Parts: sequence; structure tokens; C-alpha cells
Amino acid sequence: MNHLQLAFRNLERRPARSVLTALGVALAVGSFITLYGLSRSVYQNVQQSIEEHGSDLTVRRRGTAELFGGTIPETNEPRIAKIPGVVAVSGDLLSLAATDQDAQVLAAGWPDDSFYWQNVPLEEGRQPQRGERKVALMGIDLARALQKHAGDTIGLLGEQFKIIGITRFNSVINRNLVIVPLTDLQELTFRPGALTFLSVKLAHPQDPAEVDRVSKAIEAARDLSATKSENVLRNDSMIGVLRAVSAAMAWVALLMGVLMVLNTLLMAVLERTREIGILAAIGWSRGRIMAAIVIEGFILSAIGSAAGIVIGVAGSHLLSAIPAIGRFVAVRPTPGLIAATALAAIVLGILGSFYPAWLATRQSPAVALGRA
Amino acid sequence: MTPAPLISFEHVGREFDEGRIVALRDVNLAIDKGQSVAVVGASGSGKTTLIMLMCGIMFPSTGLIRWNGEPVTTSGAWTELRRSAIGIVFQEFNLFPTLSAIENVEIATFGTGIDRGEREVRAEAALKAVGLGARATHLPHQLSGGERQRVAVARSIVNQPTVILADEPTGNLDSVSGGAIMDLLFDLHRTGGVTLVVVTHNSGDADRCARRIQVRDGEVSEPAPMRVPEVAS
Repeated sequence: MNHLQLAFRNLERRPARSVLTALGVALAVGSFITLYGLSRSVYQNVQQSIEEHGSDLTVRRRGTAELFGGTIPETNEPRIAKIPGVVAVSGDLLSLAATDQDAQVLAAGWPDDSFYWQNVPLEEGRQPQRGERKVALMGIDLARALQKHAGDTIGLLGEQFKIIGITRFNSVINRNLVIVPLTDLQELTFRPGALTFLSVKLAHPQDPAEVDRVSKAIEAARDLSATKSENVLRNDSMIGVLRAVSAAMAWVALLMGVLMVLNTLLMAVLERTREIGILAAIGWSRGRIMAAIVIEGFILSAIGSAAGIVIGVAGSHLLSAIPAIGRFVAVRPTPGLIAATALAAIVLGILGSFYPAWLATRQSPAVALGRA
Repeated sequence: MTPAPLISFEHVGREFDEGRIVALRDVNLAIDKGQSVAVVGASGSGKTTLIMLMCGIMFPSTGLIRWNGEPVTTSGAWTELRRSAIGIVFQEFNLFPTLSAIENVEIATFGTGIDRGEREVRAEAALKAVGLGARATHLPHQLSGGERQRVAVARSIVNQPTVILADEPTGNLDSVSGGAIMDLLFDLHRTGGVTLVVVTHNSGDADRCARRIQVRDGEVSEPAPMRVPEVAS
């Protein structure tokens, strides 16, 4: 027999309580992984969708706190296109749009001459021709969900669009994106001449000095700010709020799990007062008695964490399967997040067991044995 | 030079409830290695307190306790003594209900620095010594009262202690089982040379000891022995 076996024996005494505690830890870990995975995945998916279009700089209205938060006039495009080092500029208007099938989709309006078109992978159909109106390219996941093919039509914001192609992007957002002519979306959203942002393709995107110089030239227009596309969400307030809320909920869940471990062990210690006295009477040191209790906390946390990983991964897939979420984000917790969460839960569980363990060693053996 | 007594009490007193209850007052006694000592007295006279002080489960309010001439004053020192030199047998058996007989014995070897295999060997040997080799895997609830107390005795001897302190070890047993437990303790004393201190209400058991310590109202006295004791070999 060793300490680990002894701890298991003690936990087996109250199987229901031990299982429920481990389940509580599992739910806490699962919630943490899912919620943190969600906020991270939103960030990564939006980032990936921007990068997939081949953009190096994103130009937005200065002071805009989030990506969808403001518009800029498309008249900025020719001025920016003339800046040395700029290869191409494309406007992009984004809007959530209701379809005639009562689905909310993300619609993007692109100009006819956008460099975005060079990076559109087609599953079927074709790209729009210059000047073509009321046509749409639909992301493959959305097309499958709505059972649409090239040649079908889709109602967007009350107007019918002919689906001329199905795209096969990699990012979840783009795989659920409906791309329409910029003019059509501007008209339907009553934002003529407006863009959500401008994407800029640079001649030397790897040269920081060049990027800085072009950014400053763009920002000479006092209402604009230019950000490297890979950093565009770094200070985004919506992402910040989502992260903060997810983090708060995740930590609360995790701390509740720790409190469950603490409570269970506290009850166990109070129930086993006499036995702890016996251990002291047969020569167990305070440190050894503490260690025995802490090992029980470790076991509960470790089992809970293992089960929590399963719950977290399953929960992430379930979230992604909900259309309202899955169209914008694929919740995929990273191995790093999973490992860090499990480790944090185990460490916190061990820390949570220190108080009951300390309490166990505080009691006098004589009192514990009913001798005083 | 005369060796120091194994245990000595120097003006030891023990009070409870901030001095309102005096359990023991000004106790001076010495127990030599290899002795058998009976502690007798009425209920509440302070016998158990005396035993609890001897093993450091309780600390004296006044005075000093020495082991082999060395004062023992810290809980750490007492813990080490209980692990290596003191075996304790309680009236209530005090076994762990979820552990088998052999595991209940082995648990006393944790922290002694011996490896797991050796711990198991020692626990098995201790159980055999008390005649329970065949019941090693039984849980306490599967054993009779006498067998449970034998397990407790095995636990007390597994670390080959210098002294066994037995606090009314037959108090929860019928006379036959109780007699067998006392025989076992005296066998260990005789054959192993272990010092034996027994709290007992049974005058017959007390008579088997070389010394009798009388505790009355917190005071300790020592009448002359009434008969020839069973001497450690």
C-alpha cells in the first residue's frame, strides 16, 4: 500500500460525494476550455478570414473601437492606391443580413476590381463579371446548410440574388460568407459610398519600415487609421468584451470547482477527525497527514480535469454545431489551452486542499481521540 | 554508571479548562527499560492522561518528561518517538474501516524510511506474531472484537518499539478475548523484552506486572508489589 492507494480508499468511502466532486471539477474544466476556446476561436477565425483575402494593412475610421463599428468613404481608395509601396486597395463592406430562409448570414460587398477576387477558391460556378449586379458567391458551408448550388437564388435583405458560384475558403467565417457586389450591398444597407474598411496590399509587407511609412501616409488623412491586418483585432472592443466575459465566466467556473474540492475535503477531514488522531498517535507527522489529504485533492482534481477535457472538447464541438455560432466561429480549443486548463485545475485543486489539510493537522491528537 | 530510565516524569502536572480541572499533579516517576507496569485507579482518576503524556499525545501543563534521560518537549520529537519507539494500544481498537488487517498494520510503517516491500513483510510478520496471519486481508468489520484488538497490537509492534502503552486494551472485550490479549501483550514483554505499561481495572492483569502505579485524584503513588511479576527474558 502507498499514499495514493490510501487516498483512493478514503475517496471510495463516499463514492457519490467523490464522484460528484470530480464531476463538478470536470464541468468547471469543461466550461473553462469551452468558454476560453470560444473567445480565442472568435479572434483566430476573424483574423484568419481577413488574412485569407491577402490583405496586409486594414484601414478603418480612426477611433473605431471594433471592426464593424464605423464606416469610411470609398473615396479614400484612389488616394491610398497612389501611395508608393501600395500594390492594390480594396474596399469591403460587411453586414449581417437576413435571408429569405430566416437565417442570419454575414454578407460582404466587394468592388468589381477588388484584389480579393484573385484569392477566391471556387468549388463550383464562376466569379461575377465586371458590372454584374444582384449576383452572389456563397461559402460552401452555408451553401450546404441552406442546400444551395450555383444557379439557385437567395433572398438577402429582401432582394433576390442569383448564386453564381460556391466558394471553398478555409476559415469558418469565409466558408459561411455571402459575397455580393459592393454597390448592391451599399444600396440594401442604405450606405451608399460607404465601406467598413479598406484592405491594402503592399509591395513589401515584410519590411517594417515600409509598412510604417505607408501606414503614416494613409493616416495623413486625419480620419483614418491603418493597422497591420494581423493586428486588426488586437484592440477590438467587441473581441475584448467577449474575451473578458468568457474569461470571467471561465474563472468563476474553475474557482467553483476548486471550492467543491475544498468543501469535500473539509467534510472528509471533519468526518475523519478520529482517524487523523490515530495517524498522529501512530507516528504520522503533520506533513505526512497534510500530504495524505492533499493527495486526495490531487486525485479529485486530476480525475475531474481528465473528464473536463472530454467535456470541454465535446462542448466546443456542440457549440460549433449550433448554426448561429457555427457560421461565424469554429470553437477549437488548442492543445495548449487544454493542457494549461487541466494543469491549472489540478494546481488549484491541490491548493484548495491545503486548508482542510492544514485544519487536519491543527487538531490535537488527544482531542481527536476523545482523550481530552 | 546507572542507565537513565526509559521514561521519567519530573514534577509533571496536567490541567484542563484553564486550570479548573487538575487531571494530574506533581507526578514524579521513572520507568526502566524492560519493565512491566500496571496503571490502576478509578475512572477519571487520571490514568489515561498519564498514558497520553507518556506518548506525547498530550503535553504536560507543568514539569518535564524525559526519554532515556533526554527531555522531550516538541511535538516533532514526540512524533518521531511514536513512530519508532512507542506502540500504543487503545481500548477502542481504532482501526481504519476501509483498510484490511495487514494494511491497518502497515500504515504505522509509513514514514519510517523502509521501502514498500519491507513494510509489507514487517506488517505480515507482526500479524503472524499476534496469530492473525490467516486473516491478513480481512476488513475490520469481518473480524471479531478480539481479532481487531490483535490487529491493533500488531500495529503497535510493527516498528519494533521499546515500549507498548496499552490503555485498557481489554475494556471492550469479553473475558476470554481480553485474557488472550493480555497473554499476547505479556508474551511480547517476556519474549521481546519490550517495556509494557498497561492501564487496567483488572487486578489480575495488574498483578502480572512488576510494578503497580496507583492513580488517585490526579496523584500517583506506588504500593509494594503483591506477587512475583512476569519478568522480561
